[in-house]
Amino acid sequence: MLERISQLADPIGAIIGFTLTIMVLSYLIGDNIFFRLAVSVFIGVASGYAAVLILYNVIWHQVLVPVFQVISTGKTDDLITYATHVLPAVVLGIWMLTKVSPRLSRGGTPVLAFLTGVGAATVIAGAVRGTIFPQVGASANLLNIQTGPDELSKLVGWFINGVIILVGTVTTLIYFKFGIKRQEEGVPVQHSVILEYLSTAGQGFIVITLGVFFAGVYIATLTALIDRIQFLWDVIIGFF
Amino acid sequence: MTDIICPLCGKPNPPELEECRYCQAPLNVSGFLAPSDQEGQENPFILSPDEPDQADSQVIKSESTSALEQSIPDWLKNTEANFLEETEAKPERQAPDDISEQIDSLLSQPSTPDNVTQPAIDDDWLASLLAEAGGESSPLSSQGALLGDIEEPVNENIPQPFIEEPFKAKGVLPPTPVEKPDWLTGLEASSKIKLEGEITPSEGIDQGAGITESIESIETGSMEIPDWIGKIEPEEISSNLEEPASQIAPAELPGWLEALRPEDNVPATEPVEDLSAADIVTAGPLAGLRGVIGARPSAIRARKPPTYSIKLRVTDEQRARVEMMEALLADEQKPKPLPSQPALTSRNIFRLVIAAALILPIAWMIITGSQRVPTPQPGDVPGVIDFTQQVQALPTGLPVLLAFDYEAGFSGEMNLAVSTLITQLAIKNAFMTLVTTIPSGPAMAESLINSSVGLDGNQGSYSYYTNLGYIPGGTMGLVGLALSPKSVLPYSLDGIKVWASAPLDAISTINDFSAVIVLTNDPDTARSWIEQVGPTLKIDGTPLLIITSSQAEPLIRPYYEANPSQVQGMVTSLAGGLAYGLSVGNSQQNGEWDAFSISITASVLIILIGSISRAALKIPITGKKKES
Repeated sequence: MLERISQLADPIGAIIGFTLTIMVLSYLIGDNIFFRLAVSVFIGVASGYAAVLILYNVIWHQVLVPVFQVISTGKTDDLITYATHVLPAVVLGIWMLTKVSPRLSRGGTPVLAFLTGVGAATVIAGAVRGTIFPQVGASANLLNIQTGPDELSKLVGWFINGVIILVGTVTTLIYFKFGIKRQEEGVPVQHSVILEYLSTAGQGFIVITLGVFFAGVYIATLTALIDRIQFLWDVIIGFF
Repeated sequence: MTDIICPLCGKPNPPELEECRYCQAPLNVSGFLAPSDQEGQENPFILSPDEPDQADSQVIKSESTSALEQSIPDWLKNTEANFLEETEAKPERQAPDDISEQIDSLLSQPSTPDNVTQPAIDDDWLASLLAEAGGESSPLSSQGALLGDIEEPVNENIPQPFIEEPFKAKGVLPPTPVEKPDWLTGLEASSKIKLEGEITPSEGIDQGAGITESIESIETGSMEIPDWIGKIEPEEISSNLEEPASQIAPAELPGWLEALRPEDNVPATEPVEDLSAADIVTAGPLAGLRGVIGARPSAIRARKPPTYSIKLRVTDEQRARVEMMEALLADEQKPKPLPSQPALTSRNIFRLVIAAALILPIAWMIITGSQRVPTPQPGDVPGVIDFTQQVQALPTGLPVLLAFDYEAGFSGEMNLAVSTLITQLAIKNAFMTLVTTIPSGPAMAESLINSSVGLDGNQGSYSYYTNLGYIPGGTMGLVGLALSPKSVLPYSLDGIKVWASAPLDAISTINDFSAVIVLTNDPDTARSWIEQVGPTLKIDGTPLLIITSSQAEPLIRPYYEANPSQVQGMVTSLAGGLAYGLSVGNSQQNGEWDAFSISITASVLIILIGSISRAALKIPITGKKKES
């Protein structure tokens, strides 16, 4: 019986997937109940799966199982490890539950502040170490001849590429310079002419970058459409 | 000759003038006429033109035709008339009875020295009141005048008063002042009009003589005098009165008090508070006074509040409007069904046409399994060669960390490269440690591992891996994973403590993995891995490889092309997956690349046709606007 069900699981999954794909593609004719039903099913399944995963993967395996192991084995080392690594997180997590009640929600503010502060510090430190300093160094090395190719034909392309990247970086940063020097009273406020031209060039680079981002999103969506059509065709071929 | 007192500035004007010659205020409207000198007597109400100094002290009489006088109540007019009559008749009523004579003898002032000028009485009615109360003004009032002289206008003819020297000279104590009612004292103090019979300070000083005379009159009078009084000689009384003055040493005033003492030759000053522009009270008991707050008895009069009916009186028209408003509000609460739109609108047709233009070529390529479009080569896609070399360089049998951080919707774009990677890792017999930072990641990882081809050529046959599941905490979880993986994910999804057995028992930090490969469609997730885990991996030179979507490529590629590079290899989108497959000898594809190519071509055509059509439609409209 179980073996037969397991053999049927894949076809049932294929049929469900086929049906849901058609329901989502029905949005072509406008908003309808099939599309809404498919979206609702997706949201419900995703939420339920995430809740089960967190309960099982985090609460059970990372909070409760260590307690049982400490009790069963009675090892002092495990107890110390649990007390130092897991217990603070458990206490903060339970404390955070006060946010559920409007009456007690202010009690969870310190935990929220702690999370926000630590999160912000982590992100900023990571951005400085992982993005700002390395990218500034990379921009400085763009036209470093020692890092360039040996062949002359490639060297020209490397140089042009480096110049474009350097100009794009500088002009884009200039575009985001909004400060102006204090003018005398009655004199119209304006940037210097050179900065205006460089800012316009930076604006052009930004537009190109946004266009590339949009093209990437469009290509990803088009690839997903191709994948769904491929799936539909595979299901049809599989049944017939 | 009768002058007209200006109601505004209070100065006399000739009767022939219609406007005040000082302030140009109209005189015949609200001006006051001074009473005429018909009887030839020296009437305080009459202002003589040759006595301009006394103009300010005149008692005014309102003109009968003025509007202001009309607003004066009758009782006040009668009161004023009585005052006038009494004042005029007072010289004729100087035949007092006995008691009045006695009182007068006690309270009357001694004769004023010739060198002291009597100040003019400004307020006759006040003078008459004082006369009725007990004769001339009291020493208290004179003392009050002394203290209040700072603000009072002083007649230049009046010698400046002072107290001490006359007292010292005569040695006479001031007599007991006659008690006046409080209201009269207050009114007298607040009035800027001076009494004509007000006693100067020097007069007050002479009250001692008056006392002596009074004693003489008592002695010679018909009153019953006690025997002990009769035995007292006048000389003794005068000597007794003079003795204390001679015995009392003159007071030495402190310097600050001397500085405060008014000087004798201080010129007369104008009143500090100019009331000439103030309003005149037109009603109430203070009617006719200027610069005071008029009492409004009617405002504080307690009376029973009127009774109003609580029934709203509405007309038929108002009632009809109320009913209409209620009907409108009732309709607002009822849900209205949305108007049904026709199924075939131009917008829907346009949408269907575009969908057909995209879907039909794709479907055709997939159905036919077309492979006419040349597959992208590894050298044409950036990062593929480096990625392949890094995977090929992995040692056999060592653990590799695989982060499945992409959504199922991007499986069509990434599954080809991921499947090829899993196959290559399986060939290397690498221990795949699966982690994720998104909830759907564990299922995706399990699904791909099971669908990949194992070493034996069968799907799902590779079992040398562990799925550690979800990393909680987002960015902070990544930091924890980089520093201590076994603390963040101590158990696998199966509940096995994998860190206690090989090959993960040799892992203490993330550097101990032979490689970290991130599979993500989100640029932010990729950036978090690069920022939080990358610096730690760089310490020991552990490669960080990324398989990503085309939408994340523009953000990740700078990290790959940087010098030194932060990402040692990357495979991007469907093209990258195909190129990676080609690089490892897997050229299998079921028409996806042809479908992708033709869909890109169709998209470009749609955009071009749409832009040209819009421009063609817009040009005539713009021309019409210009013509108009």
